[in-house]
Amino acid sequence: MEGHLASAPSISSLISAAEQGDRAAGQTLFEMLYSELHRLAKRELARRGIPVSLGATTLLHQAYIEMAGKERTSFPDQARFMGYAARVMRGLIIDHARSRRAEKRGGRFEITSLGTEVDSPADARELTRIGEALDELSKADPLLSEVVDLKFFCGFTFAEIAAMKGISERTAQRQWEKARIYLHRKIRADLEV
Amino acid sequence: MPTLSPERWQQISPYLDEVLGLQEPQRTTWLESFRLEKPELARLLEELLNEHSALDRNHFLEGSPVQKAFHSSLVGQNIGAYTLISPIGEGGMGSVWLAERSDGRFERRVAVKFLRLSVAAHGGAERFKREGMILGQLAQAHIAELIDAGVSPNGEPYLVLEHVEGEHIDEYCDQRRLSLDARIRLFLDVAGAVAQAHANLIVHRDLKPSNVLVRNDGEVKLLDFGIAKLLAEDATSTGASVLTQQSGGALTPQFAAPEQITGGVISTAIDVYALGVLLYLLLTGKHPTGSGHNSTAELVKAIVETEAPRASECVMAAEGSAIAEQRGTTAEKLRQDLRGDLDTILRKTLKKNPAERYTSVTALADDLRRYLKQEPISARPDSFSYRTAKFLRRNRLAVGLTAVALLAMVVGITGIVMQARSVRQQRDIAIRERDRANRITEFMIKMFNVSDPSEARGNTVTVREILDKTSHEIDSGLEKDAGTQAQMMSVMGNVYYHLGLFPQGEKLQTRALDIRRRVLGPEHPDTLSSMTDVGKSLSAQGRKEEARKILGDALSMDHRVLGNEHPETLRCMDSFAYVLSREDRIAEAGDLYRQTIELRRRVLGPEHPDTLATMGNLAWVLDVQHRYDEAEKLQREALEAELRVAGADDVNTTISENMLARILSLEHKYPEAEKIQRQALESQRRVLGVENTYTMRSLNNLADILYNVGRYPESEALFVEIRDVQRRTLGPDNPATAVSTYSIGSLEALQGHSTQALSRVREAIDHGLATSAVLAIDKDDDLKSLHGDPQFEALVVYARKHAGSRQKAN
Repeated sequence: MEGHLASAPSISSLISAAEQGDRAAGQTLFEMLYSELHRLAKRELARRGIPVSLGATTLLHQAYIEMAGKERTSFPDQARFMGYAARVMRGLIIDHARSRRAEKRGGRFEITSLGTEVDSPADARELTRIGEALDELSKADPLLSEVVDLKFFCGFTFAEIAAMKGISERTAQRQWEKARIYLHRKIRADLEV
Repeated sequence: MPTLSPERWQQISPYLDEVLGLQEPQRTTWLESFRLEKPELARLLEELLNEHSALDRNHFLEGSPVQKAFHSSLVGQNIGAYTLISPIGEGGMGSVWLAERSDGRFERRVAVKFLRLSVAAHGGAERFKREGMILGQLAQAHIAELIDAGVSPNGEPYLVLEHVEGEHIDEYCDQRRLSLDARIRLFLDVAGAVAQAHANLIVHRDLKPSNVLVRNDGEVKLLDFGIAKLLAEDATSTGASVLTQQSGGALTPQFAAPEQITGGVISTAIDVYALGVLLYLLLTGKHPTGSGHNSTAELVKAIVETEAPRASECVMAAEGSAIAEQRGTTAEKLRQDLRGDLDTILRKTLKKNPAERYTSVTALADDLRRYLKQEPISARPDSFSYRTAKFLRRNRLAVGLTAVALLAMVVGITGIVMQARSVRQQRDIAIRERDRANRITEFMIKMFNVSDPSEARGNTVTVREILDKTSHEIDSGLEKDAGTQAQMMSVMGNVYYHLGLFPQGEKLQTRALDIRRRVLGPEHPDTLSSMTDVGKSLSAQGRKEEARKILGDALSMDHRVLGNEHPETLRCMDSFAYVLSREDRIAEAGDLYRQTIELRRRVLGPEHPDTLATMGNLAWVLDVQHRYDEAEKLQREALEAELRVAGADDVNTTISENMLARILSLEHKYPEAEKIQRQALESQRRVLGVENTYTMRSLNNLADILYNVGRYPESEALFVEIRDVQRRTLGPDNPATAVSTYSIGSLEALQGHSTQALSRVREAIDHGLATSAVLAIDKDDDLKSLHGDPQFEALVVYARKHAGSRQKAN
């Protein structure tokens, strides 16, 4: 059991490597977090067997607690972890929205993933566009795109984001406002092309 | 519209920061001068600002892709005696709604706080109940009142709280330019509320300006006891209250005491510290550990290591005069007022070492009151000049009062000693009535067996009250008869556990375990059983490592002392497997469950409820592993036994049927899924009634199965039934009702009845169908038969217009 765990790269070491510019490590980290969040979401739904909306924030907190619990020593603090996990959560939500067929009947029991309430293909396309614009933004201003991931996709409040990023609540809000302008321009420009 | 290149963005970004930080009219002024300075950049900046205002109006990217539908479906819904009006807030724990009484009896508006179901499954429910319970105890003018509590039709627990319309205390003070003394008086109201919480052994743990509101009439209200903590009374120490450190509390770092961060003992001292931070902020406008920390790590370091600058020194900086102005004074005067007593009081409140702080909030409040009355404060080492200086300022007559106070103290102490004696006498009487206590134990077991929260939700509060009272009596009355005491604790611990109050259960079970170890010895069967109880309570709280340790120890001792097939050994195995499954050691958990089932079958019998419970647990594990065929087999077996033992009308039997139907549908075994779903539905209709959540869920599931196999008329008939119930219970304009209407329409379309289909879809659009669904009707495959029909094209146009006007209205 322990042996298996030791052979897989730890989240902590992947984060360190990614922070030093190791792109392969960054990719592995993304994939590990993605499958972990996906697994957690599915497990939550399987456990209850009823369709409920599962909050992204809750899921992330839980993921942090579980993963930190597994690796214990030198696991990154919650703020640093959320920086990566929020980006992954965005991917998960967009993928989910894309894959889900137009759902009309409430309360069906075929739950395939998050149980999120993205309920039409129009939303999925819109989310995909937002995702693409965010990828652009992260090149121009990574902090701004992170704030959007945390706020829009993960549902954290400005106060929580401020605490995580060590900035004031007002600054967090301003960054959000700036990001929104950038994204909107980008999306409109894409649509005009 | 040109997109912004990264270079262009870097260039404009700092100006954007600056201008977004300004309010009108400063913004216009700033822009005017910027236009002269950099005309070309100014043009772009103005364009971006206009865009910003438009985005603000349209609520671009507001709301969440995850929670959207959840919200819209709640507006207008009745929760108990209240109708939800609009969402107020949203947090990790759940959402808060503004609501008013449905019957119009009072005009009063309330806040309804829902606990998110996903949180409920993780000890959140316990935290939530705790908030309700805590507030129930704390009827105090300055604490937001708990009006009601319950469980919504969707199964979410909720609290109805007094709705406080007010401002954060710091903003309130600044906007009204309150003087230092006025701020201190307001702060004393806050301290009074916290002191009362402490008197009830409750620590708030999250005191900060956003949790302290001041209403327009100047009344202070303390909010959010969500992470408050009940203190366990330490029986050995002299009344000092401590609590075993427990991580996982969502705290606000800026207001956290050093020991909350370093993992020290959590006591009332952390609220004293947080109040110190709040007072510092109110008086100086600054945070004691300074601002501008670049990371949480820096902030944490500051909280743990850096001594706060004297309050009087921190208004020296450039903005000192602005801060003074907000306090209706000058910088020089403000410094003078802070220097001396207030510096000392703050310093003592903000000590890094909890033992050096004020011993209680009351002591802090007393010192502030002394300050206001210009009496000597307690927080200063006695120095002759200080004392005399104060005395000279005070009324001489007051000196005589000191002697009176001293006398009162002596009398007080005598009172306590006398009380202790009578407690001992009571204890003797209690021991003589040991047999009676045994009868009580039996009675309680019976009583609580019928109070499972899923059946008797309304009773939970009463049960708790009895429990809390009784557990207190165990402490005071039964100490000499350790055996009975441990038994009572163990029974009550289990009841707390079944009520979902795991920490309270764990506390009693741990004490029972300690007593049994001491009195009966470490290997006595009762001691071993207590170990398993403690382990179960720990794992229910997600404290997996601790749980695994104690259950592992218990299991190996069970094997040695009781043998491999003792029912107690088997109970411990089941609990141990549960912990493994939660630690993602799914395969191991599965193996252990299998062993347990086999042994329980042999020892307890194949139809014993415990045997069936373990089978359900294993089916869950298999479900997680996507081993549906095995999960199916097992669930089927458990269901058959339940049918034999408890009968078809038992609620648990019908839930097992729902579970089995779910597994079967995942396997595309629709005919059988249908059969079982119908069985469940039939008895639910009879026993629970059609409006019950389980019954409605079964109806929906059945309709969905029929849709999947193409039996559209039958599926439609069920949706008609569902819609009729929803019209009654949720109202005709509820989005959920509209979804059912839409489903009826699409089933009509699938049957080629275009006229009916068109009018149903139109009806759904007009009665609350979610905008996203309204906009997607032309993409719905189920409506394909309508494509090309000019009436449908007209409906698509109508839908777009409708959605557009609804968005505008919002």
